[in-house]
Amino acid sequence: MNEFLQFAAVVVGIFISFAMYTTLYGKPNPLRDWAEFSYLGAATGVSIVISLTYIYNTAILGIQAGDWILIFSIIFGLMMLFRMHPDYSHVSRLPLAFTVGTGLALSLRTQIFTSFIIQINATIVKLWTGVPLEFLYRLTIAISVITILTFFLYTMELSGPLLWTSKVGEYLMYIGFGGIFAQTFMGRLGLFVGYMESVTTPSWKVPYTLASAVICFIAAIIFDRTGLGQKLSAA
Amino acid sequence: MTVLVVSFLLVFVPYFIPWGPLDWLSGKLMTIAAVTNAFTIVIAVYSQFRRSGRFIREKRKGWAYHIYLLVLLAIMTLSGFILGQHAGAYEWLLLAVVTPLSSVIYGILAFYMASAGARAFRARSPQAALLLVAGFIVLLYQAPLTGAFFPGIEGAATYITNTFGMSVSRMFSISVSIGAIVLGVRMLTGREVAFLGFTEGEE
Amino acid sequence: MAKEGGIYRLMATYDKRWVYVVLFIVVLGPLINPIGMPIGISALTKNYYAQLNTLQEGDIVFDTWNMEFSGYMELKPGVLATHKMFIEKGVKLCIAFGHYEGVALPGEIFKQLQTWLDRYDYREGEDYIIIGYVFPNEAAVAALAQDFHANVRVDWKGNSIEGTFLDDIQNAGDFDMISDYTTGLATTYMINHMVLQYGVPMVENSIGVSVPGHLANLDAGLLTALLASTRGGAELEYLIGSPGPGLKSMDAFTLGHYSLMIFIIVGNIGHYGWTRRTGAKDRTGIK
Repeated sequence: MNEFLQFAAVVVGIFISFAMYTTLYGKPNPLRDWAEFSYLGAATGVSIVISLTYIYNTAILGIQAGDWILIFSIIFGLMMLFRMHPDYSHVSRLPLAFTVGTGLALSLRTQIFTSFIIQINATIVKLWTGVPLEFLYRLTIAISVITILTFFLYTMELSGPLLWTSKVGEYLMYIGFGGIFAQTFMGRLGLFVGYMESVTTPSWKVPYTLASAVICFIAAIIFDRTGLGQKLSAA
Repeated sequence: MTVLVVSFLLVFVPYFIPWGPLDWLSGKLMTIAAVTNAFTIVIAVYSQFRRSGRFIREKRKGWAYHIYLLVLLAIMTLSGFILGQHAGAYEWLLLAVVTPLSSVIYGILAFYMASAGARAFRARSPQAALLLVAGFIVLLYQAPLTGAFFPGIEGAATYITNTFGMSVSRMFSISVSIGAIVLGVRMLTGREVAFLGFTEGEE
Repeated sequence: MAKEGGIYRLMATYDKRWVYVVLFIVVLGPLINPIGMPIGISALTKNYYAQLNTLQEGDIVFDTWNMEFSGYMELKPGVLATHKMFIEKGVKLCIAFGHYEGVALPGEIFKQLQTWLDRYDYREGEDYIIIGYVFPNEAAVAALAQDFHANVRVDWKGNSIEGTFLDDIQNAGDFDMISDYTTGLATTYMINHMVLQYGVPMVENSIGVSVPGHLANLDAGLLTALLASTRGGAELEYLIGSPGPGLKSMDAFTLGHYSLMIFIIVGNIGHYGWTRRTGAKDRTGIK
C-alpha cells in the first residue's frame, strides 16, 4: 500500500473512531450509525474471508495432500447449511450431532481436570510451609473458596454452621468482587488508553485526533439540537 | 443421538486409552469438526442478508444504512478473495475501518464503567462498603504513582486480588465445570435435545 | 436564592456525560504532554520476565495472538516488550491468531519492532513463521495440538511450511514454550489441550478482565507466568530497558484510576448528602 493510502487509512480510521465515540453523547446521530454499519459490513466481510480461507487451508489442501477422510468435513459443512432452509433443516441435525458430540468430548475430557480437580487440589494444600505470609495466603484461599461455595448451595436449607459459613462466604465474596471490579476497570481503561496512545503516536497524528474529536462532538450537538439526529439515524 | 454418542466416545476414549489407530481417528474427527463449525459463518451471513433485505424491501427507518452495509460486505469479501488479503481494498478497509472501530467498541466500556461507578456504587450496606473499600485499595495500587509513594499498598492489593479475587474466580470455575458436566451428561443421555432442533417428546 | 441541597444536590444529579468528558481529558492530556510519573514493578511481572529469560537461542515458541485489535490496544506494551526479548534471544516463533482480526496485527506489530528486526537480522520464514488464523473453535485447537502438520500446511500467505524450523514440531509437546496474548478466545482450550496434555510451559499476557481467572490458573500451576494488562506491559518495558507505549500510557492510567475514585466518592457524598436525605430516586438517565 503506498504512503498516501496508508496516511488516508490512518486519518479515516481516527475520524471514524471518534464518530463511534459520539455514542457517549447519548442521543441518536447519523455519524454513529455510519460508523456502526461500517464496522458491521467490513468485519463480517473479514470474517467470511478468514473462515473460508481456514476451510481451504485445512480441508481442501488436506484432501489434495491425500487426507481423503477430510472430505467428510466438506460434506458435513454443506449439510450444516441446510439449517437455513425451512423444509430441509433436518438435514443439518447429523453434522450438528457430530460437532456437538466431538465438542462435548473435548471439553469434558479436559475441563474436569483444569476447572475442577486441579483447582480443588490447588485449594486444599498444606497450609504451613515455614513462611508466615504464604501461610496467610493459603489459609485465606482455603477458607474463601469453601465458604463462598457454601453460599451458593441453593438445593438445601442453610442452617446452623452452614448458615454462618455462607454468611462469611458472602462477605468474603464482596471483598473479592471489589478487587475484580478494580481489575476489570483497569482492563477497560487500558483498552481506551491504548487506543488513545495509538492515535497520538507519532505526534503528527495529534492534530487529526483533536480535530476529529472536536468535529464529531460539535456535529453530535448540532444533530441533537436541530432534530436531524433522530431523522437521519437508523434507529 | 447415536451419532452424538459415537462421536463423543471416539474422541473421549482415546484420551484415556491411547491406541495408535484410535488416536489417529480421533485427531481426524477433531479436524472434521473444526472445519464443519467454520461453515456456520455462511449461516450468519445469510441471516444478515435476510435482515438487511427485509429493511430495504420494506423501506424501514435506516434502510439506506443496510444498503451501505451490504455493499461494504461485498467489497470486503470480493477484494479479499480476488485481490488477496494483503493488498487492495481489503487491506485498506481493514486498517481504516475494522481495526479502529474494533478498538473503540470495547474501549467505550471504560466510560460506561466510570459512569456506572459514579452513579451506582453506593456504600448502602456492609457488603457494598466492603466491596468499595477493597475496590479502592486495588484501584490505588493499580495507579502506578501510588505504589511509588506508598510501597505498602502493593502488599494489601496483592493480598486482596491473589486470595479473595482469585477464590471467587476459582469458585466460579468449579461451579461452571460442574454445570457443564451435568449438561453434557444430560445431552448424552437424551434428556436435552433442543440443540438438535427437536421439541420435547419428538425424536 | 440557593437551590435546595446546594453542592450535595449537584454531586448527586450532575449529567453523567461530564464523567466522559473528564475521562477524555485526563487520558488525552498526559498522552499529548507526558508528565513522567514513577512506576513500581510487581512480583507478577518479575516472574514473567524471569520465565522468558529461561529461553535459549533456537528454542521454538508457540506465539498465540488470541486477541482482537481492541485487545491488542491494551496488551500492546506487553506484546512488544515480549517480542523484543524473543528477538534478542534468537528464539524461533510460530505465530498463530485466535481471531480473524489478527490478520491486521503482524503489520502493526512488526512495524514497531522494525529496529529490532534489523538489528538482530530476524526474518520471516527463517526466525518466525505466521501460520495465521488456525483457532476458530476448540476442535481446531485440539486437532492442532495432537497433529500439527495435518492441520497446518501453509503459512498465512499460502507458502508451504515444509523445510522450515516447524518440521521439528509434530505436536504441541514439541514447543519449548507457549506465549499467549489473550482477551479470552482460545486460551482455555490451549490450557486444556496443550498444557494439560503435553505439559508445555505457558506464559500469559492477559487483559485486566481475565486476570482474576488466570491468577487461579497460575496458582494451580497451569500457567507459569502472568503479565497483567497495560500496567504489566509497562513494567516489562522498564525491566528490559526499552521504554515504549506502556510507560508512555502510565500517566494517563494513573489519572484515569484517580478520576474514577473521585467520581465514586463524589457520588457517595451526593447520595448521602442529598438523595438519601430527601428521599429522591437516584437518577441514572440523561436529561
